[in-house]
Amino acid sequence: MIFFNAFLLTGTFCLVAQLILDNTKLTPGHITSLFTVLGSALSFFGIYPKLIEWGGAGATILISNFGHMLYLGAVEGFKEMGVIGLFGGLLVKSSAAISATVIIAFVLSLVFKPKN
Amino acid sequence: MASKKLSNVYIKDAFSLAGPVERDGSIKDYDLVMDDYYYNTKTFEQSEIKMQKVVIDNLLYKNHLLHSDIDILVSGDLSNQISVSSYAASNYNIPFMGVYSACASFVEGLIVSSEMIENKKKANAVCVTSSHNLGAEKQFRFPIEYGAPKPNTTTFTATGSVAVLLTKENSKVKVESYTVGSVVDMGQMDASHMGAVMAPAAAKVIVSHLTEMNRSVDYYDLILTGDLGCIGAKILREYLKRTNGIKMKNHVDAGCELYLKSQEETYAGASGPVALPLYLFNKILKQKKHPKKILIIGTGSLHNPFFVNQNLSIPAVAHAVSLVVS
Repeated sequence: MIFFNAFLLTGTFCLVAQLILDNTKLTPGHITSLFTVLGSALSFFGIYPKLIEWGGAGATILISNFGHMLYLGAVEGFKEMGVIGLFGGLLVKSSAAISATVIIAFVLSLVFKPKN
Repeated sequence: MASKKLSNVYIKDAFSLAGPVERDGSIKDYDLVMDDYYYNTKTFEQSEIKMQKVVIDNLLYKNHLLHSDIDILVSGDLSNQISVSSYAASNYNIPFMGVYSACASFVEGLIVSSEMIENKKKANAVCVTSSHNLGAEKQFRFPIEYGAPKPNTTTFTATGSVAVLLTKENSKVKVESYTVGSVVDMGQMDASHMGAVMAPAAAKVIVSHLTEMNRSVDYYDLILTGDLGCIGAKILREYLKRTNGIKMKNHVDAGCELYLKSQEETYAGASGPVALPLYLFNKILKQKKHPKKILIIGTGSLHNPFFVNQNLSIPAVAHAVSLVVS
């Protein structure tokens, strides 16, 4: 059942993104930022953890999960170190994803050239 | 007075190099084609420099000319600070001037170089233009790797380079007169709809050319606009019909014709300064029954990504040159 839920959840998010892409002048960069903000908002209202429970990886592979992680990191940081922790903890949870993206992108850019 | 008649300036020869998508387009016999966007260089920009060099070298070689036989080199392209032209020109010991009016650069270069040699007894000028699809996309919109979606009004920057040799000796194509257009800004903001941005500028230069030269539109066998694209060309025809009552029966847009309809990645057609000369020298002038009087109009959208991001509308300019082919 969780596979079906994951399919539905990711599908719905992608459908919304595709509709935005087709009907507005927003570029992929705008849409990923939008979904990140949406993810943190959903996380703030406690909805995102429920989505993860319901849809599993269907919720965690999306860019909105990045927003969710930002929110969680900031909250944890705040609990430990106060206001400074808001900034200190912001990227802690998503550090693995960010570092991996940067390093893998760098390595791939050494190997491949843009074609057309 | 923006128009002027020239007494004896002729286009003696031209040499064209076309890119991989153009190679598969509607014209089959370019002088040279390149199979990939790098052209054995490391980057797209260096590839464009090499393209300009190749066309200049071949043009001079074909006509048995030395660098010292050329009095002036006028080039234009779409890169930042037209540095592609400057780098290409640094290989030659020829006096050089760079011109920029986006996709109207070729026609502007033609006007400048014709005017430079007009009053001399014996002179040669070389006029060069180039554009590179992947270089220009990065320059004017988004890098292609970004994968931004494109609406159907988008034009596809043509890849290629053309060098033209202008002389005072009598030859087949005469540069008869020209009209310098003024910059028009109709408040268009969409950088993916260049046709709509440039059509009013093209209309304006056509009207001022016809009035100042005292000609009717039927005087010309062919009015060839540069790179309005299929949608922009329709806008131009309708605009002229509604505002000036001019019916453009002999109008062809080079950008709209350069590719085949089956090449879907090209959307509304070709753009870039090279679209017009590629089509003119490789299709129109190579036809057995070619038109005798041709008005070529280069249309350029004078935007820059900074001003587009600052939400300013996009100005456009168009220049016209009348050619008589014997």
